[in-house]
Amino acid sequence: MNYPVWELPMGGGVLMALVSVLHVFVAHLAIGGGLWLVVAERSARRRGDAALLALVKSQSRTFLLLTLVFGAITGVGIWTTAALISPQALLALIRAYVWGWAMEWVFFIVEIAAALVYWYGWERLDARTHQAVGWIYFIAAYMSLVIINGIVTFMLTPGGWLENKEFWTGFFNPTYWPSLALRSAAAAAQAGLFVLVTAAFLKRGDARAEEARVWATRRGAAWVAAGVAAFAAALFWYRGALSGAIPDWADLAAGAIPVLPRVVALMWAGAAATFLLALWPLAAPRRWHPAGAVLLTASALVLFFGGEWVREAARKPFTIHGYLYTTGLRVDQEPEVAAAGVTAFTRWRDPAAATPAERGRDLYRAWCLPCHTRDGYNAMRPFLGHRTEAEIVDFLPRLQHMRARMPAWHGNAAETADLAAYLATDADRGAAVFPADRDAAARLAWDAHCGTCHTLDDYRPLRPSLAGNTREDFEAMLDMLPDLAAEMPAYGGDPVERGHLLDFLTGAAGADPDRSAE
Amino acid sequence: MNPYVPTPDVLPIPATAPLFEALLHLTFLVHLLFMNALLGGGAILLGSLFARGGDRELHEAVIERISKLLPTLFAGTVTFGVAPLLFMQTLYGGFFYTSSILMGWPWFATVPLLIVGYSAIYLNSFRGRRLGGGRRWAAAVAIGCVALVGFAFSNNTTLMLTPEKWSRLYFASPGGLHLNLGEALLWPRFLHMALGAVAVAGIMLALLARRERTDARLREALTRRGLDVFLAATVVNIMIGFWYLLALREDVSRLFMGGSGHATGLLGLGTALSLVLLLLAWRVRVVPARSLKPLAWSTLLTLAVMILMRDAVRKGYLAGLANLHEIPVRTQTLNLVIFAVLLVAGITTVVWMVRRLLAAPSR
Ligand code: HEC
Ligand code: HEC
Repeated sequence: MNYPVWELPMGGGVLMALVSVLHVFVAHLAIGGGLWLVVAERSARRRGDAALLALVKSQSRTFLLLTLVFGAITGVGIWTTAALISPQALLALIRAYVWGWAMEWVFFIVEIAAALVYWYGWERLDARTHQAVGWIYFIAAYMSLVIINGIVTFMLTPGGWLENKEFWTGFFNPTYWPSLALRSAAAAAQAGLFVLVTAAFLKRGDARAEEARVWATRRGAAWVAAGVAAFAAALFWYRGALSGAIPDWADLAAGAIPVLPRVVALMWAGAAATFLLALWPLAAPRRWHPAGAVLLTASALVLFFGGEWVREAARKPFTIHGYLYTTGLRVDQEPEVAAAGVTAFTRWRDPAAATPAERGRDLYRAWCLPCHTRDGYNAMRPFLGHRTEAEIVDFLPRLQHMRARMPAWHGNAAETADLAAYLATDADRGAAVFPADRDAAARLAWDAHCGTCHTLDDYRPLRPSLAGNTREDFEAMLDMLPDLAAEMPAYGGDPVERGHLLDFLTGAAGADPDRSAE
Repeated sequence: MNPYVPTPDVLPIPATAPLFEALLHLTFLVHLLFMNALLGGGAILLGSLFARGGDRELHEAVIERISKLLPTLFAGTVTFGVAPLLFMQTLYGGFFYTSSILMGWPWFATVPLLIVGYSAIYLNSFRGRRLGGGRRWAAAVAIGCVALVGFAFSNNTTLMLTPEKWSRLYFASPGGLHLNLGEALLWPRFLHMALGAVAVAGIMLALLARRERTDARLREALTRRGLDVFLAATVVNIMIGFWYLLALREDVSRLFMGGSGHATGLLGLGTALSLVLLLLAWRVRVVPARSLKPLAWSTLLTLAVMILMRDAVRKGYLAGLANLHEIPVRTQTLNLVIFAVLLVAGITTVVWMVRRLLAAPSR
């Protein structure tokens, strides 16, 4: 609303997710890996094991490249991308937490300097000083996490900050500690991953080098397994804290937000796969293989991807929960918008826009595009293809009742008509085709209408009300939806579509287990 | 009032604006030093890598010394680039974000460019000679990426100053494919920065030469090379400076021509300093044994003056649009103290580590 919205075919959220996941993946590795290096170096020196020391040194070079080149720059990348995708939220985060960022920056300098000195110091520093630098690296890296964790959790569960706007209230928010536990566990697991991957790709040397490799492999595997197990345990603590802070969390996880259950499942699958794969090098370190390392990396990526996505999805429709919507509107501005209409709050209006559809396009960019795309992620076209303009006008004021947790649409009648005119233009609607397969067509008719607000069995379940009714009952029901609940729009599908939907409802009423998905 | 200038954020800043300005300028100065050494040093490196004739031994010495330093310079540039970006966003975020979005893709591209550039710099430094003829290209890619990132920054920092252009760009294409190529300020500003970097790197090369304790001939040759680079770059850059001045919007250029005592004073000081620099550099060029200290310190001072001039330009362009003293303030004293303590402790730690490293004999 305050800023122009960057039109990206795949959606801004996708780009943000890509950069964040890559960064978070390497950032945790950069923390845990630092601990691994000092611990392993100390072991090697205590035992006078030159082969192990050589191995640690070679790992530290990969580590340097990975953390400095990839870790640090993707970190900058998050800032760059956030400025492009959610400028309003970034500015708020900076205003509220600039001292936090500044503190984190100090640790960042120390971390980077220590990483360089550690690497260049292998030949030049005495053992004690070299290890001291290693510890300095690890402590600085971990302190970065301690600070960033406060700001990241603040966005999801700002807690008391919403009332008092105090730095430390928002910082030590309801999910701070469980999240720190989660991330610490993840860092340990990532350190193990780093060890396993480097060990797998190491050139085979003499017997002693091989012993060192096996030593490291076994320990790396233990770190992964222990890290993932601790992660899973911390997840329960985290979930408890989250349900406390976001009261309808149970609803969300049960499918109020359509993607959430799938994403949670993805995260668990990633965790399980990572854990199981780590058992291989734990049991048979000599037979640990590059293929395993690739699989392990992939499954850990799935875990991180799932985890970050859950956090993102749980935050909808806010970027700072309870304070700022994804559209850049503050919650406290809502009454004003509701009274004055959205146009006054749409800064980027094309002076050349003359027709309703052209004016609607500006509204669409400001109020829908932050979360939607035409055909990419969260695409609108498949949905709009099955709606008439009148239906669109009817559903716009009900967006906030949909499962998706969208912000309410506060347009007045004229603005709603403009937006609907734009959404109904052929270019942006796509075609309303139904697949030939009757079951698939029935499913689509359901998804496009009732499924946006209901599920059959979980969130706002319909099956209980459908049970025992006949097709004729449903015919009547479709004509009186607004009478059943004010939140519901009238049904206006054409006869073909109506037929498909009736098929679905009759099937569901018969409790046909095939139809009970979602 | 331009309707596309974002409403100022309602959240207060946690210390007075002048404090953030001071932090912005200070950290930006350090960033500039690293960036100049990186970009300018990279340019000198390329000169030696691609040179056909000349003193081969000197070229090799330049290549070895600079290549070894570049990764650390890159790290320094990035780490000290983050802080001024943070403080600038604290004060001018709304302007910067809008121009960033208009430049969506080119702006986003800085991230992959940095990754590629950084990797290529490590390749050049770690593999070095073993790359054979490929080394030149690794270095060229690395420095090319750095220069492109700089160019993107010049585009963005000029576009953020001209809100009157924004809406035309956005509604012509909202997909974020713009640069700010139509801006009169763009080229002089970018070239001024880039050539300034080359000049400063020349001085750094001369300073580096002081570490050659054993080989007097090499020491002199490196010193001369550095100062030659400095002199040539600075002479050209003084002219570009005037181009920059002429390219300024009229009301802003008037500030530098007596309209504002602050701006005019800075310009006078900057011009005088650049002449002093030429003189000082020439003196050492003639007798390389002379001290470099006066030159080095005057250069630092000049950079500081340039930063303040740049700030005066920004304030001139955004006059009436961004009023820093109007931003609400709610001071967080405790956090300020924590930051200050951490900063001192952090710098001490870094200095300690680096000194231990440099003090140790290379085994
Ligand atoms: C805060 C982000 C957000 C905003 C802003 C937003 N939406 Fe949504 N919307 C979503 C999400 C998430 C979904 C769920 C997609 C899914 O998982 O099925 C969704 C779903 C929808 C659907 C149902 C699509 C389907 O196939 O289920 C429609 C229609 C829709 N949005 C329209 C709009 C319109 C019109 C606007 C602008 C006035 C808008 N949305 C603004 C996030 C948003
Ligand atoms: C905009 C969101 C929305 C859409 C679309 C929607 N509903 Fe509803 N519906 C609601 C809400 C809200 C209630 C109120 C009861 C609740 O919260 O569970 C409700 C209640 C009902 C009820 C009666 C109460 C109950 O829980 O049994 C029926 C039956 C029903 N809906 C059927 C449908 C059918 C069939 C469709 C598709 C044609 C549909 N709804 C589409 C939001 C919606």
